[in-house]
Parts: sequence; C-alpha cells; structure tokens
Amino acid sequence: MKFLANAGFDLGRMLIQALGIVVIVFLLARVVPGDVVDLKAIEGDLSASQQQEMRTELGLDQPLIVQFGQWSWRALHGDFGDSIRFGRPVGGMVRTALPVTLVFAGLSFVLALVLAIGIAVGAVMTGSRVLRSLVEIVNIWSIALPTFCIGVVGILIFSVWLHWLPVVGSMLLPILIIGIDGAGQIVKPLYEELREAATSTHVRTAHAKGLSPWRITVRHLLPTAVPVALALSGLVLAGLIAGTLTMEVLFGLPGLGSLMLNAIQGRDYPVIQAAILVTAIGLVVVNALTDLLHRMIDPRLSR
Amino acid sequence: MNALVIRNLVIAKGQRRLVDGVSLTLAKGSTLGIIGESGSGKSLTALAITNLLPDGLSISSTSTIEIDGVALPTHDAHAMRALRGAKIAMVFQDPMACLNPFMRIGTQIDEILAKGVLPRTARTTRIVELLREVDLPDPATLARRYPHELSGGQQQRVMLAMALAGEPDLLIADEPTSALDASVQAEIVALLARLQARRQMAMLIITHDLAVAGALAHDLAVMRAGQIVETGPAQAILNAPQHPYTARLVAARRTLVSEPSDAAHAGHLLVEVTDVAVDYAGRGLFGRPFRAVQGASLRLERGRTLGLLGESGSGKSTLASAVAGLRPIAEGRIRLLGHEMRPGGPALPQALRRRCQVVFQNPHGALNPRLSIARALGEPLGLAGIPHREHAARINAVLRDVGLEAEHAARFPHQLSGGQRQRVCIARALLCEPDVLVCDEVVSALDMTVQVQILQLLKELQKKRGFGMLFIGHDIDVVRWISDEVLVMNKGRIVDRCAAHELGATASRDAYTQRLMAARLSPLAA
Amino acid sequence: MTLVMPARTDGKARTRFSVRAFLPAAILVFMVAVALAAPWIAPFDPLDQDLLALNQPPGPEHWLGTDHIGRDVFSRLVMGARTTLLVGLGGAFAAFVFGAGFGLVALSLGRVSEAILFGAIDLVRAMPGVLLALLLIVALGEGVGPVTIALGISFAPFFAYVARAIYHREAAKDYVTAAQLFGGDPLHVLRVHLAPNLIGGLVTQAAILLPRCIVTESVLSFLGLGSSPDAPTWGRMVAEASRYIELAPHAILAPVLAIVLLTLSLSFFGDNVRRTLDPLREEAGS
Repeated sequence: MKFLANAGFDLGRMLIQALGIVVIVFLLARVVPGDVVDLKAIEGDLSASQQQEMRTELGLDQPLIVQFGQWSWRALHGDFGDSIRFGRPVGGMVRTALPVTLVFAGLSFVLALVLAIGIAVGAVMTGSRVLRSLVEIVNIWSIALPTFCIGVVGILIFSVWLHWLPVVGSMLLPILIIGIDGAGQIVKPLYEELREAATSTHVRTAHAKGLSPWRITVRHLLPTAVPVALALSGLVLAGLIAGTLTMEVLFGLPGLGSLMLNAIQGRDYPVIQAAILVTAIGLVVVNALTDLLHRMIDPRLSR
Repeated sequence: MNALVIRNLVIAKGQRRLVDGVSLTLAKGSTLGIIGESGSGKSLTALAITNLLPDGLSISSTSTIEIDGVALPTHDAHAMRALRGAKIAMVFQDPMACLNPFMRIGTQIDEILAKGVLPRTARTTRIVELLREVDLPDPATLARRYPHELSGGQQQRVMLAMALAGEPDLLIADEPTSALDASVQAEIVALLARLQARRQMAMLIITHDLAVAGALAHDLAVMRAGQIVETGPAQAILNAPQHPYTARLVAARRTLVSEPSDAAHAGHLLVEVTDVAVDYAGRGLFGRPFRAVQGASLRLERGRTLGLLGESGSGKSTLASAVAGLRPIAEGRIRLLGHEMRPGGPALPQALRRRCQVVFQNPHGALNPRLSIARALGEPLGLAGIPHREHAARINAVLRDVGLEAEHAARFPHQLSGGQRQRVCIARALLCEPDVLVCDEVVSALDMTVQVQILQLLKELQKKRGFGMLFIGHDIDVVRWISDEVLVMNKGRIVDRCAAHELGATASRDAYTQRLMAARLSPLAA
Repeated sequence: MTLVMPARTDGKARTRFSVRAFLPAAILVFMVAVALAAPWIAPFDPLDQDLLALNQPPGPEHWLGTDHIGRDVFSRLVMGARTTLLVGLGGAFAAFVFGAGFGLVALSLGRVSEAILFGAIDLVRAMPGVLLALLLIVALGEGVGPVTIALGISFAPFFAYVARAIYHREAAKDYVTAAQLFGGDPLHVLRVHLAPNLIGGLVTQAAILLPRCIVTESVLSFLGLGSSPDAPTWGRMVAEASRYIELAPHAILAPVLAIVLLTLSLSFFGDNVRRTLDPLREEAGS
C-alpha cells in the first residue's frame, strides 16, 4: 500500500515537472521579440494589414493563456503545427528524426552502463591496480574532455587519416564516445559505493558465513550498488542529451538533435518547441521509470 | 583436545602492535569471556580466529591458532571458507547492520545450509527448526520477512539462528548485546546460555560488559592495550581480581551497585512540568505528527537529581529537550525558573536560556571539530558578554573543576579521548553558571571506568554548585546511583516514580519497572 | 581471486608540493596570462581575412596557419582565450551567486518555503544544462551577457543542493544546539559554525563545476549559440573549422587541444582544491 502511495506521489511529481517544462518552453519561445509574422513580413514584404490578418489567422493576437491552451491541446493530439522554414508538419519531422536519436542514445546508454558496472565491479572484486587506475582515468576523461572535442579528434584520426570510417553518417564512433563519456560519469561514484559496501557490516557477516566470493559479490555487494547505479543513470541521461545534440551535428546524423539545432539557427519555433518537448518528456519518463525500479528493488522502500 | 588454542597472537598494523602476544585456551563445551574496554584489541582477536582481519593488518608468523588441535589453514582460502559458518560461527554487535536488507530472513539462513548436502525441502524445514530453537514466534512466516521488519532483539535471534545453521563447534559472539535494550539483553544472554548448554558448543564471548560476561562465562580473560592482563575462572576474577586494572573494572561496576548516599536536601523549585505532551513533526507535507511524550509531570528542585529512566524510544530525551526550551510542547505547561512555557507560546527568553544547560550523549558531535577547546569554551563566555580578557582565567578555572589541565585548552577535539571530551562539554555547560543541568545519556558512549569517573564528577559538581540535575539514561544502575528520585518512562509516558533507593522494592513498583529490574543481569554471578 | 575487504583509508590529505599539484595550477596561470596579454601577443587582427592565404598550414608567418577565410589561427586562439575564460568563470560565479543565494534564502525562511523553493530548483535541474542554456539564449539573445546568465541559471541548482545538504547536516549537530543554549542567535550560529563548512563545500563545488561551465560554453559556441558571432571563441573556431576538417586539420586541432588542456588542468586543479579544503573530516568514530 505504501508502495503504491509513494509511486503515485512520484508520478505526480514527474507530471508536474513535465508540465513545468512545457510551460517554460512555451514562454521562452514567446518571449523573444518578433514572431513568425514578423519574419514572414520581412521575407514576403507584407503590409501592416496583411500582417494583422495573418496574426489573427494564426491566433497570435490571443492572450498567452489561450495560445498556450490551443497549443497544448493540439500538441496532445500530435499536431505541432507546421515548420516555418519547410512548411511541413512538424509532427512528421519529429517522427522521422526520433528513431535515429533513440537508437543512438539507447545504444550509448547501454554501453555506458555495461562499461561502468564492469569496471567498477571488476576493480572491487579483484583489487587490481590496473582496473582501479582505469576507474580514475575514465572518470577524468568524462569530466575534462568535452565529447565534441573527442569527436573532432576521432574524425581526424579515424576518418581523415586512417580512412576507416566515413566522415559523416556512421554511428559507431559517436556511440563509443558518448558511451565512454557516460561511463565516466558513473564509474567513480559506483566504485566508491561498492568499496564502501565491501567493508560494510553485512558483507563482513557474509564473509563470516563462509560464502564464496562470487556469491558475496552478486547477492550481498551488488544489490547495495543498484540503487546508486540507478540514481546515477539519471545523470548519465542528462549528459546524453548534450552529447547526442553535438554528436549528431558533428557526425551528420539526422536525429532530433540536428533537427533542433537547425531549427534554432533558423528560428523555426514550432520545430524547436516540439523537439524540446519530446526530449524533456522523454527524460521525465525515464526518470520516473528509474525511480520506480528503485522502489521495486529496495524492500525497505516498498514494505 | 581443546576447541580453541591461541598462542602468542600478534596483530600488527605496520609497526604498531594492536594485539601483542595473546594466548588463551578454550575447552570444548565451555565459555570463555574476553573482557576489555575500547581499543583493547579484543575484537581483533576474534576476527583473527576467522581470518577476517581488515586490510593493512597482519598476523605475525610466530602466532598459532588451532581449532580442535588443527592449525588454522590461513593460506588456503577455500579451506577457510569451509570452516567459517560451519565449524566456526560468528555473531556481531549490530544485528540490523549485519543482515542483508535485500534478502529475506529465510534465504539468508539458507545460504549456509546450501553449503551442505540437504535438498531444498529439507532445508526449508531446517530453517523453521532453527528459528524455533532461538525462540522466535511463528517461524514459517518470519522466514519470509525482511530484516527491517523485525525488532532488534528478533534480529539478533536470527543472527544466532544463522550461526547455528552450520552446526558450529565454536561460536564467537562479539558484543552480542550491546546494541540492544536492557530487557532484550537479558533474554539474549539467557538464550545464549541455553543454546550452549544444549549443543555443548565452545563459546567465546567478547564484551565490555562485566555483567554479560559474568552471566555467561566459565572463565574470563581481561584484555588491555592488546595484552591479556589476567585470566582465570569467572567467579574468582569478579570476586577477587588480582590485577589492578581488573580491580578497577570490577570496582567501577561495584560502585554503581552499592547503596547510594543519602538523598540531597531539596532546595527551592526550579522546574515544574504539568501534563506535558510533545509531538514530533510528521514526515513530508502530509505526515501526521507523532506524539513522543504524553501526560508527563515532574518537579525538580535545587541541589536534587531527577533521573529519567527508559529504553530507546521512551521519550525521555524528548521530554528533557522540551524542559530545556529546545522543543515546543503540544499540551500542558512547563515552568522553568519562573518562566512559563505553553503550547504555541513564546520561546524561552535569551537570559533564561543560559541558566538551563544540556550535556549531550555523543562527545564527538557536541564539539565543533574546527574549534580549539579554548575557543569552544570561549563561545558561551563571549555570548554572555564577558570581556575577552577574562576568558582565559575562567576557562582555566573550569577546566580544573572538571579534572582537566589548563594545557588541554590549546588542543582540538580529535586530540582528546571520549572521556576528556565529555569533561569539556560539562565544563562548557558550567561556564554558563546554570541552575538546571540536563545530562542526556552522557556516559552511555564511554568505557566503564570512565563512566564512573564522570558520574562522580557530576555528583561533586552538583554538591559544590548546587544546580538541579535532570539525568537521562537507560542503564538502571547508573541512573539509580546518581539520582535522588527516578521517573521510569515507557512509550512516552511516565509509568512509575519513586526515590532512587526504592527502585528495588519490587512489590510496590509498576510492572514495567519490575521487568526492567529483572532484566538487570546480576553483575557478579554466573 | 580475492574479494577485497579494504581497510578504511584514514589520515588527512597532506598538500604535498608535487608535480601533480603544481602542474595544473601552472598551466592555468599561463593561460590566464596569455588571455590577459592577448591584444599585445596576437600578431594579426583575429578578424582580419587574408583571402590569398586560405587554409594555410602552420608556417613562419602564420604560426598556427590560417582558417578557411584566411584568418590567423594563432591570433584567434589567443583572443579566444579571453572570451572563453571570461564566460566560463563568469558563468560559474553567476551560478554560485544564484544557487547559494537562492538556496540560503530558501533555507532561512522555514520548512514550507524551503520545500516550495527547492521544488522550483528541482524543476530547473530536471532540464538538462545544455537544453536550458539553449532555450535561455534563444530567449535572451546572444552575446557574453546572456550566455553567462544562461550558464549561471543552468548550474545554480548544484550550488543550492550543496548549500542545503551542508546546512541540514550542520544544523543537526549538537554543538549548534549548544550554541543556541548559550544564547547565540541564528547570525552567530551562521558565522561561527555554519559558514566555514558552507564556504568549504561551495568552493569545492565551484572547483568541480568550473570545467563543466567551460565545456558547456564551448558546446554552445560550437552549436552556434555562444558569445559574439564575430569575436572568436574556441568552440566557435571548432564549429567553423569542422567543415574543412580534411583541408585544414590544424585549424580545428588548435582550438580542440586548447579546450582539452584548459579543462584537464581545471579538473586536476579542482581535485587538488577539494583535497585541501575537505580533509577537515571529523573523527571516524562518530
């Protein structure tokens, strides 16, 4: 019962956050001086009355609340309006771009987790100096080296000089880069948490019971690390957003990031709003899922 | 053949010897108690037997440990694992921390059984049997629970069941009762005695508590600074200790059990509490407040000590902090030094705050580690408006009053021992010249010999300065010794009150008080 | 294979005069010096285009070569140091002020206000830094000012959280209660007991966040939203040169290496700062 109540609370909080994001996105886009009509006016040399007509047609002279209501209502039905630049429905553009980003982000995320958990667990279990140094190295790597810089260097080495990969279009290199970067964000806190757990009383008790190291690691040590890993995944995801954005641009991948950036440069508001909305909501959903998983795993929280 | 023989055990950390030449023998079917205060090396000795010392510590090659006449296979990890949980079982101090919070009780016991040959169904039955053997009710249901759903006493019983699962020849218990409430302590001690008798195990009990050791052990070994200073039959040691250190330990316990001096003469009324209730705020935005204290009334006069006795969660600390003006009250009223506190009323005026001081339990958390003792003691003086040039003189005077030297003022908290820090905290409180001194479990975290010193110090100070003292504690002997009158608290209510020396008059006491008194282990009998 | 049961590493960290401690600081000082002296060091005007010398490799006249419209890479690099450092430091400082300020105000107003105000902070943090900065810049416009503010707002939550964590941890300590009993008012408690820990924690956090601010600024510049469209920042240099990566690798390599050197040094430096300020740990026995 407590479980459901808490899960419900979390879900509610997430929804409020999502709502908050939507409002912010909406407001920020509207705050900028000059709107669609102004742009079109410059392009198409419209007269004042024509501008006014266009405004009324597009509903831009309504109070903000109404505009927000209209936009949200349409958004809920998947209608994000038309791209100013291309004249095509935004929904369609987003739908084409989304899978690319999902695949990219998904694979990177999995790689990051596998790497981080593998290195951290290995370092704690074997105590090997190599692995412990690896923890530090990967950690510093992700803090100090911006992904787009590594991306540039990567392109230089693998595409320009070695000709192993095409300069644009291949996902291999960006996935590796983002994956390692993500791993670097988790691996050190994870390692410290595992090490702390290894000296904890209940692990010591497990030793005193004479259990095999394997069993101790899997059933006594790791479970304490899972909540931490889950919490950190949230961090990784945040980093993933920035990463996918820049990587898509750098490597020419036609995903949501490229879409968003082109839209920003071209002041294509409907596209910007839709893309950011989808991204933010996606993040909120994933965060909610990780929280839920956390609750399910730790019996102290659910009973 | 002896169950356990240790010869010349030396455990070193680099150059420092933490255990220095310990030798002892444990015969089959008997219990050896190792007694010592913190830092004596007793726990390390126990860990060495199972070869589970923390990294950085090493056992000298000249040391030998034999189980059943066979040397410990310290170089064969596989063989050691086979021994642990099977021949040698170990139980630690804090059962909640020892149990894996993510696994059900039954599964954790099953881990040990799975090392053997029993099939699954037989193991399930065995688990229930084991839980029943440690007197846990409804074992089948309990096996499916998680550790956090059990009480402290139940958890420790589960730990014992786990230890017994491997049918050990040797059971090592490191402070098995220290983390538990007094009434539960007695039950666990009784359980240990029964189990040992029934299974004829050799048992090694490690503790700082003479009463526990006396109740369980046939023989005792007293450890201090890594060495054994005295060994012998338990009765002999406790009744007629030879070594001066042992004598001090025993004397410390005896002092508390002796008849307290005459009750002090009552001065005028300092504190009057009438029907007070105190609430804890609920968790989160919608949590309901929790009533920690209900219907409490007491009177404290000058020169007298009022003891608040109760187990953890009884509300004694909450009540005391309300009296000191640190917590708002939900019902009733408190009259402190003439000022009346009511629910929702104004807070204690600054001038009065100083006159009621508190000394806290944990000397670690009570002093700011960044401040030197001189600065820490200077804080109340500065806030009282005393000019800076007078500080040094007053600080030196009060340090002497609490039995410290003037040179201690220049040190930092981490450079002092627990007892010394507690003296500093008392000194700090005294600098405010309080009329009321609240002592909240002030000796509970200290070694026994130090406890007695601090208690004696408090009594002296009270005689000299004449403040009224509110003493909170869970140890019956301690509270009884220092108080003139004792209030017994249970679950937020005061269930009994009497003069300190009447606590033992069982017939006229409340049932709960009787239970507490019965749970006291007679300190000098086995 | 042993399952490691490591002993707790005890002992205070000593600031040893070692290469590890010295080198990052030295590099940073060098970079700041270069940035300050930029107008006098740069041989060419960074905006000056020599259309006869496009994409020239490094040579005696142009030490690091030229970019795709003939601008001297070295001069742009050196001038770019100014803006990059300015915005990075400014952003971190702004974040400190916004975050710590807002956080402390929220904390001093009571539990309910704290919950509400920190809920707002949670909301800001729910949006990934770059995304938020992007939006803010779209709203506020480009240039050094808006970018700094955007960075400040995006990173403020971290400072607020640190302030809150330290505040709660310290406020629960018995010596704070004791101070109240001596008659100390909240200001006294803040000054004597809370402030040292707060400052330590916040400065540590600043040291950790500084490289991230720099990186975020570079990413924003790379995406075309950074400061000053025409004044060079390292991120923008990377962006512009990325299209000509095969023709003029030097033009992109120079700013990339500069960014990497800066962030690496900042990270190690920040690590050292943390180790110096943090070791006043309390007794392990508590």
